[in-house]
Amino acid sequence: MRPLTLTRLFIRCGILAAILFVVVVIALKLGAVQVSLYGLGKDLIDVLLRRANSLSSDYGLIVLDIRLPRILLGIVVGASLSVAGTSFQALLRNPLADPYVLGVSSGAALGAIVALIIENHLNLSPEIAGLITPIGAFIGAAITIAVVYFLGLRDGEIDSTTLLLAGIITVSFLNAIIMFLMTTLSGSNLRGMAFWLMGDLSTPQPRSLLYFLCIGFIVAAGAIYTTASDLNLLLAGEKEAMHLGVDVPRVRIVVYIAASILTGLAVSVSGAIGYVGLLVPHVMRLIFGSDHRMLIPASALGGAIAIVIADTLARTVTAPTDLPVGTMTAAAGAPLFLYLLRRRIAS
Amino acid sequence: MSTAVRHPLPGDAPRAGSDVRLSVEQVSYAYAPNPSQAPLFTLEALSFQAKPGELVAILGPNASGKSTLLQLISGALEPLSGRIFLNGFPTYSLPVKTRAQRIALVQQESRLLFPARAWEFVMQGRHPYGGSLRFESAEDIAIVNNALAQVGASHLADRWMDKVSGGEKQRIILARALAQQPLLLLLDEPTLHLDIGAQVDLLESLRRLAAQNRYTVVVVTHELNLAGEYADQVVLMQRGKCLRVGSPATVLQREILEQVFQAPLSVEMTASGRPRVTLFSTK
Amino acid sequence: MHEVVDEFGRTVRVPLVPSRIVSLAPSLTETIYALGVQDRLVGDTDFCDYPADAQKKPKVGGAVNPNLEQIAALRPDLVLVTKELNRMETLRALDTLGIPAYATDARTVDDILTTTLKLADLLGVPDAGKRVTADLRARLAALHDNLHATPPTRVLFVVWTEPLISVGKQTFIADAIRKADGVSIVDAAQDWPQISLEEVARLQPEYLVFAASHSETGARDFDALANRPGWRILDAVRNRHFAVISDAVNRPAPRIVSAIEDLAHQLHPAAFPENPVPEKSAAAPARAGNIPAPSPARITRDVLPSTQETACAR
Repeated sequence: MRPLTLTRLFIRCGILAAILFVVVVIALKLGAVQVSLYGLGKDLIDVLLRRANSLSSDYGLIVLDIRLPRILLGIVVGASLSVAGTSFQALLRNPLADPYVLGVSSGAALGAIVALIIENHLNLSPEIAGLITPIGAFIGAAITIAVVYFLGLRDGEIDSTTLLLAGIITVSFLNAIIMFLMTTLSGSNLRGMAFWLMGDLSTPQPRSLLYFLCIGFIVAAGAIYTTASDLNLLLAGEKEAMHLGVDVPRVRIVVYIAASILTGLAVSVSGAIGYVGLLVPHVMRLIFGSDHRMLIPASALGGAIAIVIADTLARTVTAPTDLPVGTMTAAAGAPLFLYLLRRRIAS
Repeated sequence: MSTAVRHPLPGDAPRAGSDVRLSVEQVSYAYAPNPSQAPLFTLEALSFQAKPGELVAILGPNASGKSTLLQLISGALEPLSGRIFLNGFPTYSLPVKTRAQRIALVQQESRLLFPARAWEFVMQGRHPYGGSLRFESAEDIAIVNNALAQVGASHLADRWMDKVSGGEKQRIILARALAQQPLLLLLDEPTLHLDIGAQVDLLESLRRLAAQNRYTVVVVTHELNLAGEYADQVVLMQRGKCLRVGSPATVLQREILEQVFQAPLSVEMTASGRPRVTLFSTK
Repeated sequence: MHEVVDEFGRTVRVPLVPSRIVSLAPSLTETIYALGVQDRLVGDTDFCDYPADAQKKPKVGGAVNPNLEQIAALRPDLVLVTKELNRMETLRALDTLGIPAYATDARTVDDILTTTLKLADLLGVPDAGKRVTADLRARLAALHDNLHATPPTRVLFVVWTEPLISVGKQTFIADAIRKADGVSIVDAAQDWPQISLEEVARLQPEYLVFAASHSETGARDFDALANRPGWRILDAVRNRHFAVISDAVNRPAPRIVSAIEDLAHQLHPAAFPENPVPEKSAAAPARAGNIPAPSPARITRDVLPSTQETACAR
């Protein structure tokens, strides 16, 4: 018998965090433009020791303004999607659940398209115009969360099966509207939307948005983590969980809202990156087991690692052309999914 | 859910100074899937009491309301009228966590979505004693080991739950209930999937545990002879009505049993004063 | 540095004479060469292929997804984008990074001329701009003189065959067709409307127009189309009334006027008796290394066999 202790939890998370750090350092080095990390390190030290005022322009703009924010965005998005995926798999008691199954990404896509169409008719200042798409996407996500929630109620409580069905129906319905609206978009908007739908991290976001994302992640993921033990019991069955002292309706609402917020935030800035929310929890489960006290932080770190690797590949494999990160996650995710599926059938 | 008027009972205060642990008082229930339809299922008002260390058998054919009564006792359902008291506190109004510290329910099946080891499964029984996010203490580990030992499953602690036999699984599920350190132990048809040897083992354990740990044990079953041999009290039910409550000897009598189970039978008394029922073939 | 307002209405701070320019659209690259400032062009997209020298410039990726790092590494003091081809996200990304970006938006042929003038001012060569646009205006005026009495030919501009896609009436391509005394039969507000063969059959265009980088491709395209089921319902297909012009018509750049002239000649040969082959003076200033545009071949009806008398009567 080896129960999970706080020490063991920290050690394992520490290892994952170390792997993430190494991946980030490598990602900083790789890219369409060559950057010497030794030179960068020296420059940083110079700045810290006040021997120079700022980084020499080579590294400054490229690394600090382009690459690092993109990597950080990837970390937050990857962590958000993976924690959301873990939560939905527990909430819906379905290992095939991913963050998009309840319609959040379709709602966000529709919100983004509507925002694009509206923007064409308004004259907005550049700062606001830059935020229109993420805000529209987030509003679309929020409305979808609410609608699916109410559709998924049965006898006044969330019912897993009804919720899943409501989500699937909503996704189909929204996708139909999205396809219709896309025929009305003009050339460059259409291309932009296509990128968005594939999942793309290449657009630098304003700093304020990044901070907002980080805070949102900490709050929502934290809320989910406080129910980790409850989630372990939920997996045994909702009736059993109740008899073992779990306040099932409360846990359902907290997890549903928090996981939807995580998904909405991630999708608003990066589009619908696929496979991460579905597969990272499975891989982490294979390594660490199904105990959510370990699984949730492991998924967060694992998702960050996965997205940073995928995004680095996306911007180096066919340099200088930038591929959307969703292509890389799909290219790796589909075979991995097949492999996991076969394992599951075999066991 | 029922919306009828609840009959008020005299006094809400806990009853002090009595030896009674479980008190079911004039409890009835009705279930209507559609508020506009007539209720599908009704349980007519019934009452009985049980003490610490007692084993009560709720006996009856299928669809007699046994499982519903157990769910009412466990606090999962709200009675239409009447109340159920555990040490003087109404079970339905207890907060979920407190209830789980006092009442443990053993169901027939336990379906796990993701694989778990036996000790992890039993550790779930300690959940009512912590927050939504808790880490096991040394005391928890000791209690889990103790629970496994009490059911004779210590050697199974590290086994995966999907790799144990039916009888072993039943024991581990029981160990989880013991880990809750409850006052009331409820079991819903625990012998359904067990062979005869295992059935006897289980009932023996239950009787022993009831005596040792001063549990009140309530077992739902349709096995006449198990009830007759092991119960201190029998509640005989048919079609939502409680026909008779009392010791096995007073309840398991030929005329009433033939009426309830619709089969010719005879009842003998064993040397220990327990009734034994023999069924004849219907020709 | 001074402030200018681009064709989006954005106010941008740019150097008085930008010396390191990155172009994110092939039409802008062509315009830069036409204005003679290609020495200051330090980067363009993978698709910037005209003139041939443009292919040798450092590449920053596609027009839709250029690599920001690559752009930044070139240290440009001005990046040019178009509303039609580039994404808003790219424009905003450049703003966030503090790189001056100027956006153009040309919807008609006149817009193209105005944009060329404005770009010339922006890049510090107003005289070259005036010269180039004056020449283009003269050629367009000459066309108008020749053709204003002739009724316009009804055409279908074929962008893609499966599915059948044409151009909307608000595109510069539709405007270019009008300048060549033609009119697109497709009356849609979208930029790239998909139309059904039924609809085309109902409208019976007199000519089909293809844009191709090589004239032989255009002829092959037409043959492939003619052999597909249902297409023989069109008079234009049976009479082999099709025109092939250079794909310069797809780019809102000075070279489009050559394509317009060529189209006019193919649609209204009777109006140009003395001048069967249009001149190819591609408004190029006298600078070495500037390659004139290739002359579009008038191969169509003269070369291919026709089953009927070419009585494209009007």
